[in-house]
Amino acid sequence: MGVGLAEARENLMEATAYDDIQPIHPEPTSFWRRYVFSMDHKVIAKQFLWAGLLFLLVGGALAMMIRWQWAYPGRAVPLIGSIFLRGQGGAIGPATYMTVFTMHGLIMIFFAITPILIGAFGNYCIPLMIGARDMAFPFLNMASFWTFAISLVLVICSFFGQLGAAGAGWTTYPPLSTNIGTPGSGQTFMVAAIFVTGVSTIMGGINYVTTVIRHRAPGMTWMRMPLTVWGLWLTAVLNVLFVPVLGSAALLLFLDRVFGTQFFIAGAASVRGGGDPILFQHLFWIFGHPEVYILILPAWGIVNDLLSFFARKPANWYRGSVYAMCTVTVMSAIVYGHHMFMTGMNPMLGQSFMLLTLIISVPAEILFLNWLRTIWNGSIRTEPPMLFALGMVFVFGMGGLTGLYLGATATDIYLHDTMFVVGHFHLTMAAASFFGSLAAIYHWFPKMFGRKMNPRLSKLHFWWTIVFMTLLFTGQLIAGYAGQNRRLYNPYEYDFLKHLLPLNRYTSWSAFILMAGQFVFVWNFIHSLVAGEKAEANPWQVGTLEWTIPSPPPHHNYDVIPAVLRGPHEFANPEVREKLGRDWIGQSEELAGSEPGAAAAVARA
Amino acid sequence: MSTPVAASVLRYRPPQARKDATAWLGMVVFLASWTMMFAALFAAYAALRLRVEQWPPADLPRLPLVLPLANTLAIAASSVAIQAGLRAARQGRQAAVLPAVAAALALGAIFVGGQVALWTGLWRAGLRPDGGPFPSVFYALTVFHALHVLVGLGGLAWAVVRAARLAFGPARHLGLRLWTGYWHFVLAMWLLLYVTVFLL
Repeated sequence: MGVGLAEARENLMEATAYDDIQPIHPEPTSFWRRYVFSMDHKVIAKQFLWAGLLFLLVGGALAMMIRWQWAYPGRAVPLIGSIFLRGQGGAIGPATYMTVFTMHGLIMIFFAITPILIGAFGNYCIPLMIGARDMAFPFLNMASFWTFAISLVLVICSFFGQLGAAGAGWTTYPPLSTNIGTPGSGQTFMVAAIFVTGVSTIMGGINYVTTVIRHRAPGMTWMRMPLTVWGLWLTAVLNVLFVPVLGSAALLLFLDRVFGTQFFIAGAASVRGGGDPILFQHLFWIFGHPEVYILILPAWGIVNDLLSFFARKPANWYRGSVYAMCTVTVMSAIVYGHHMFMTGMNPMLGQSFMLLTLIISVPAEILFLNWLRTIWNGSIRTEPPMLFALGMVFVFGMGGLTGLYLGATATDIYLHDTMFVVGHFHLTMAAASFFGSLAAIYHWFPKMFGRKMNPRLSKLHFWWTIVFMTLLFTGQLIAGYAGQNRRLYNPYEYDFLKHLLPLNRYTSWSAFILMAGQFVFVWNFIHSLVAGEKAEANPWQVGTLEWTIPSPPPHHNYDVIPAVLRGPHEFANPEVREKLGRDWIGQSEELAGSEPGAAAAVARA
Repeated sequence: MSTPVAASVLRYRPPQARKDATAWLGMVVFLASWTMMFAALFAAYAALRLRVEQWPPADLPRLPLVLPLANTLAIAASSVAIQAGLRAARQGRQAAVLPAVAAALALGAIFVGGQVALWTGLWRAGLRPDGGPFPSVFYALTVFHALHVLVGLGGLAWAVVRAARLAFGPARHLGLRLWTGYWHFVLAMWLLLYVTVFLL
């Protein structure tokens, strides 16, 4: 409509250059703008990584305290006890024990795994892997991190709260989490922290969703995106839609605690009929079930890519993996009732949720088979990222299988609220996303910091972790199957659990050794950061876009926005081997004498 | 080469429009997210209400109907006004933007004033947040909504300053467009709230 030819031609020039759409930000020069209040997605990613790793250590230390209590109930805790538990003679009292497992769960989920997988690798990988210069909204990205920092302050405040930290379990169920069950400011601080970190997550989610939709490089179609980006994008969609539900649950609980409203109050403290504690469970799990996929989808995507990269084979049935992840994303919203089988839910409704829950394992199995077929007959390179990816496949497989017993109502009624549940969700959510995070750290460390990690220490870390983590969580499964309830202060006060003391002690020692092994990683990480071997641009010889630029990347990532010609897993292509003499080709690399897309066609044939 | 290109060129929009579309998409994603937040609050309201036999309880003061209706009209008129301002900016009638946006701001402020009058009246009559599920729902939903109105008023105040400098034109009105979208969202939430909390 009235576009002159000259103007049209000018538009086209701009369209192909893509530079006006993604301008090169001037690089900040002052210290504060560069390292602290930075709008650069790579710096923000590192900020999230440091915060997440720090709180992972805190959460790990809390886990050790729980395990100590179960191995040696009432005995003084070595090291930690003499510093933090002086008032109780170094031992963990019942009230302190409540705060320990509560803070362990909340910190691990919201302040360790979420910032590492989503905050750090979402920020780092999305713009680099889709060929963008930055996120769509850099300022919002910075605000997201600093909002998260405020929530960390609230978590720390909670530890110093009157009557101790939050103590109502990570699920924060009322009436236990109301003023009647858990008085004191520690719980209130933690409820506020959940709300604030939710706001931060939503800010990040808006950025990720928009960036992937709008800022993909030319030629980077949806079906050429690395699966890492798919996983992170679907996670962002779930975050944007379901974290607000948790936000409103936390908000209403906060109002109940601070302003005396009656949303979740029941029993003697209620006024005019009071509220409904079960309502909180509904709101919590409408968020909570998508949340477990929020934590695992990025790991799925990362692992799917890494298995292909280090087996030197294209990922098996890429589209199937994409569709499976999308199906899981949609279905994750309609299975939450399986967390509430024992709340007096109508058995018909329970059966419906059971059916949906068992159906959602089908796409997960498609993914799993794709992973196995990707490494089948591959030329596997047992580099550290690959080992951790394979470790994730192993622990997630075990976690998935144990999940079937909890999804089916008949077995769940027996296993409900036992250590079996704890073992199951630690294998799927904790171990699998932990292995996914470590695979990502080992894989992208050279790109992030420009140095390589020590491969021997990395492999030592892997074998140490996989052995003792498996022993730890299978120990929990066995204790749960034997009937041990979760969260018991001293299980051996019950006659029928007395004989489980040796089992729990052995499980606890697996945990202590596992924790000790993590210092191999801490040392390796810090030492490599300072004195590691300098990394070249593409140390793993893979084709995704971020490896075409120097390590670490310049401030604006790409001098020229790359034009993408093919998918992310172009390995073992005979034509490429013939012309370039190597088994991989970059996503934006032109292959002389062949049309774009021809290479992919050859690979399929 | 020239023929296949021409078609794509005509469809191609210049970079500023693309940037605007990106920002607008971000706003839509944000509002989708916030819709879930309000949906959860309304769900909580429904769950509490379905449990009790009598709603509202007979021994608590009744919610007035006239003042909230006036408020509804004020915030609806405010939404219409800001839409008129956006329309004027798009059509290049720059002088018409300021009065429209200023009217939207004033009407929004009237809404907040009306809400404060509503709360103080009910508070004096004895309706307190700790008086059971009914006042809990009433205060939580209306105050949470009013906080969104206050944020919107901040945005509108910014838009008034910009409009006074004739900063909004056919090509550049992104900020006004985003705040308009937000303002319509706040109106939509109020209409739901008005029907469910006051009328039903």
